[in-house]
Amino acid sequence: MFLEIEHLTMRFGGLVAVNDFSVNVQKGKIHGLIGPNGSGKTTIFNVLSGYYKPTAGRIFFEGKRISGLAAYQITARGLARTFQNLRLFSSMTVLDNLLVGMGHHGRTSIWQTLFYPVAVRREEKEFLDKAMNLLDLLEIADYAGDLATSLPYGHQRRVEIARALATEPKILLLDEPAAGLNEIETKKLREILGKILDSGVTIFLVEHDMKLVMETCETITVLDYGKKIAEGSASAVRNNPIVVEAYLGREDVL
Amino acid sequence: MKKKMNITQGVLLGVAACALLVFPFVAQNSYEVHIINQAGIYILISIGLNLAMGYAGQFNLAVGPLWGVGAYTAAILNTKFGFPFWVNLPAAIILTGLIGAFVGLPSLKVRSHYLAIVTIGLGVAINIALLNGGSLTQGAMGIPHIQMPDFFGYPINSDQRYYYLILVMVILGFFIARQILAGRIGRSFRAIRDDYMAAKAMGVNTAYYQVLAFVVSAAYAGAAGALFAHLNTYISPDIFDFPATLFVLTLTMVGGMGSLVGSLVGGVALPILQEYLRVIQNWQLVAYGVAIMVVVIFMPGGVIELTRRLSGWRKNRLALVDRDASG
Repeated sequence: MFLEIEHLTMRFGGLVAVNDFSVNVQKGKIHGLIGPNGSGKTTIFNVLSGYYKPTAGRIFFEGKRISGLAAYQITARGLARTFQNLRLFSSMTVLDNLLVGMGHHGRTSIWQTLFYPVAVRREEKEFLDKAMNLLDLLEIADYAGDLATSLPYGHQRRVEIARALATEPKILLLDEPAAGLNEIETKKLREILGKILDSGVTIFLVEHDMKLVMETCETITVLDYGKKIAEGSASAVRNNPIVVEAYLGREDVL
Repeated sequence: MKKKMNITQGVLLGVAACALLVFPFVAQNSYEVHIINQAGIYILISIGLNLAMGYAGQFNLAVGPLWGVGAYTAAILNTKFGFPFWVNLPAAIILTGLIGAFVGLPSLKVRSHYLAIVTIGLGVAINIALLNGGSLTQGAMGIPHIQMPDFFGYPINSDQRYYYLILVMVILGFFIARQILAGRIGRSFRAIRDDYMAAKAMGVNTAYYQVLAFVVSAAYAGAAGALFAHLNTYISPDIFDFPATLFVLTLTMVGGMGSLVGSLVGGVALPILQEYLRVIQNWQLVAYGVAIMVVVIFMPGGVIELTRRLSGWRKNRLALVDRDASG
């Protein structure tokens, strides 16, 4: 078992954002999570990444329980995420954004920082090489020294993905990575998703671009009003009348 | 990725180093040296405040009273137990750092302006503790007869001699701060300031680094306190009240919040300016308030930001001239 969500319920006061939701994400695959606006997709991501403590239910990653852990501990276990609205570190260069993500692998202590800078420099060099490799993978190495927020929007999206990968995750949670991208950029994104998958990282994808989801995801879970209404392959989901109804409304019977 | 200095920069640095070294000999009187010594002490507090506030976004507005904790630690260890400066300095740093951790705990629950208010309150509490510490702190009377240090038998017993001690401490403090900022700790600080939620998602242990920011800023204030106590040989609680925090905040903001060089600039400029402002006495606080407002509105990055902008503007102009010449 890789990533398991068991009977997750997330309540905010009277609002039930996620209701008894369960899912199994298989290792080495792209798993899609779709649903109309407000159906609870981002809430599930926020619970997964440790921002919210679930009202009920449990989450297991590689057999170990992660629900209830602090966000940074969950990242250390190998879950990383991107954000629907870009949240890059605005005062930093592209490279520094990635280096923040690598920080939790750092072994040097504050005492070494103060009194043994050689060790720190060695570690920095190691981080730097890894970061540059990731920038190469996402084809944004030319921008390494630029202020992250000064990049074109599509590139900023890639920086977000690179930064998440910098934490060296086993599973990557992508929250609408194609939002605001044009067709060419989306095509590029699909290539990138393929490369990430090839590097052995599982992807859990929330996305509104149906074409992208249908073409890349092996399994798709459909959410509506916080409840799972369907799950299966692209074609199964597409032809499921409940899914069609959730997205387009009920077909009027004459 | 080291930047090479060009010749002009090298010469400037050399001149600055010489000026710093000979300053006590060319100063008109020891009072001028004394003011610069105070400036050095303020620079140290300011560097700490800058690390916490300018880089990590943690409003530690208890630095004035924390400075007092450092000073009282050194003063009590010296007058009551006879310990020398060289023992009292690390003791002051450690104790003030520990208390700084407690001051930093609320940062895990409240942010920005609310945190500023909470830390002001905690600072006031620390100051009241100094005032009401009984025979230990000697209340409003303060602690007199603190001994000046000596260096392997060589007494550092004048402002001129103390100047070099402070100079070494400021240089050390500056480079330690640079070291902290250069690596993982500095990046984590800035990540927390830029985007708290994203920092968490990137595996930054935000709680740890927030408290660390407070500890570091308190440690700097503690070092400054020990230096202050042994320089002035007399301390009292009123010195370390909220106006002290406000003064350091002002000079840091005028110099440049988020720039260590800004701390140097503001730390030298404001204490000198303060001497000229003595004529307006109680209106000084008003002047600091106005200075903060002007800085926030017109140059949020302080003097440093301003010079950066000017040099950038000049470079752009030169580039334009170049293009005109070649085209």
